[in-house]
Amino acid sequence: MRFWEIGKRNLKEIYRNPVLLGFLLGMPVVFMLVFCSAFGQGTVEPVRLSVVDEDQSQASAAFVESLERIEVVELWGEVYSEEAWAKEDMEAGRISLYLLIPRGFQDAAAAGQSVDLGVVYEGADPMAGLRVKPVLEAAGSQFLGMPAPVNVEMKGVESKIENEIVNFFAPGIIVFGLMILISVTAEVIAADREKGFLARMLTTPAKPWEFILGYSLPFIPVLIASTLIYLGVGMAMGLTIVGNLGHAFLIFFLTGLSAVGIGMIVGSLIKSESQAAICWVFIVPLAMISGAWWTVEAMPQGLQNFAGGLPFIHAINASRSVINGVPLSAVMGDLYWLVAWAVVLFSLGIVFFSKRMVG
Amino acid sequence: MDAIETTNVTRKFNGLVAVAGIDLKIRKGELFSLLGPNGAGKTTLVRMLCCLLRPTAGTAFIMGHDITKESFKVKGLIGVSPQDTVLSERLNCWENLSLVGKMHRISSEEVRECSKELLQTMGLMERAGEQVKNFSGGMKRRLSIAMSLVHDPAVLFLDEPTLGLDPQARRAVWEHIALLKKEKTILLTTHYMEEADSLSDRIGIIDEGKIVALGTPEELKRDFFTGCGMVIRAEDIPVGIMQELCGRYARVERINGGVEISHGELDFHEVVEYLFSRGVIVSSATLKQPTLEDVFIQITGKKLRE
Repeated sequence: MRFWEIGKRNLKEIYRNPVLLGFLLGMPVVFMLVFCSAFGQGTVEPVRLSVVDEDQSQASAAFVESLERIEVVELWGEVYSEEAWAKEDMEAGRISLYLLIPRGFQDAAAAGQSVDLGVVYEGADPMAGLRVKPVLEAAGSQFLGMPAPVNVEMKGVESKIENEIVNFFAPGIIVFGLMILISVTAEVIAADREKGFLARMLTTPAKPWEFILGYSLPFIPVLIASTLIYLGVGMAMGLTIVGNLGHAFLIFFLTGLSAVGIGMIVGSLIKSESQAAICWVFIVPLAMISGAWWTVEAMPQGLQNFAGGLPFIHAINASRSVINGVPLSAVMGDLYWLVAWAVVLFSLGIVFFSKRMVG
Repeated sequence: MDAIETTNVTRKFNGLVAVAGIDLKIRKGELFSLLGPNGAGKTTLVRMLCCLLRPTAGTAFIMGHDITKESFKVKGLIGVSPQDTVLSERLNCWENLSLVGKMHRISSEEVRECSKELLQTMGLMERAGEQVKNFSGGMKRRLSIAMSLVHDPAVLFLDEPTLGLDPQARRAVWEHIALLKKEKTILLTTHYMEEADSLSDRIGIIDEGKIVALGTPEELKRDFFTGCGMVIRAEDIPVGIMQELCGRYARVERINGGVEISHGELDFHEVVEYLFSRGVIVSSATLKQPTLEDVFIQITGKKLRE
């Protein structure tokens, strides 16, 4: 099988190239080590906070009103009177974080007793819960005029997560790592075009479809191996896979396929191997606006909408959710985007690459 | 049936004519050289014959197969060593040869046997297991030629096979090409006249996309060069005098210990007296056999390396 021979050759050219491997594996691994070990205090704001007011008192209403004045918190939706409704909305994906003001809030405040406020967050975004805790503690103290009267209990949907920070960062960095495949794919294709190797192979009786397979299939083991290595390093740093690993892998696979598709397009358009560096002009900003290293709520709405139209934000959201225990059915919206983008980008990659085989 | 036959084959790039209606017949077993300066259209013609470029007009046949209609059959019959030494740099010799062999659907055993023979012939056996990125230019070129032979093609295209090589490596490649003569039909492109002169059965001089002269090296020198040349041995000819000579004669080239002059009608006495009058001490002046470069200059009015 000719495509197999071309694929084998391309795979050897990748894994025998230390610079390419350094980029593909080294950079995300270093990011994983740095982010997971160094960043424990994410402070991206504002956080969309819903409120469940079970006390339904003047004091609780005034407390909610005081929260509106806090810049770092954006009150989201109507104030619930029953926690069950908030839970229902959270399960439906309409809200991701809510503050629970328990019954007896007004009485406890009047008696100068401490009050247990609850913060419930979706497992997919523990950072939001972590960020909002000190804000609510400060707001409660200020409102009640007492030193530290508020005990905020963090109640993540999934309690099996050992290190919430790592579980937040790792999926984003894995998606960033897979985005590096854009540059790697572009470089491999552009190098063979620039140096004439592709032309030389085109003087053999191999058919165009054999070249297409030979130049796209090798990236599949590369993306699988990369994902396994990223996950391995993440787990060594404390990543807890609470959900279904297979589902997470599916999301990463679709992400990688999109990246390879973009790489094939870029590799077919640029004229030299060195021009593949242009990929970095959009890989890093794309990773940023997709929330690889922070939550996207802090970004202007327009930028959020723009990022929402691209595949990577969906990959990051879906993989965070699935890894933290959210069922795949709850992230189908993100998954549909990913499947659509993977099909479109990979198909376009094939079209652009095919055009380079015509004299 | 000729091995290669072209009929009015033409290629234009955005209106610019690179190959202008070439008609050519190359016999089986012949080593035919296309001699011309850079940009003359040699590589474009070869790329069309290798089915990498479609002709804008006309067509060509390789062993009776139309390059435009039966490209995959043509590709099965040809071997190509491109102008740039194109190898898979992180593969070793065995792997590079095997890749081409497998593209031609040759069994692993056959590829192995053929590769062994080629590596021995090309003097690469000792380093056959090394990644080729560490090879010298000459070694890469020899491997590139071996890659074009691994599937035993009927027609071999060698596009500038010695470009950029030092004289020693160039001679080694010539020896290997000479071994292939008669076994294969070879189309060799070059702008080294010595290469074309020593290796070719016939030569086509190509300029601005057209074949401007065609024949054996001897025929070209006999039929197309009507001028004469002389070699003058003289020490330290000043630059100013060289410039004056260039202004008077068609071709003037400084050589080791003297100067070579070619011109349509050359009066030996006049040249020597002129040099004496300018204070140059001439130790000898001899007739020079015409070269292909003289022929080329006479036909095109320019030098091969321009």
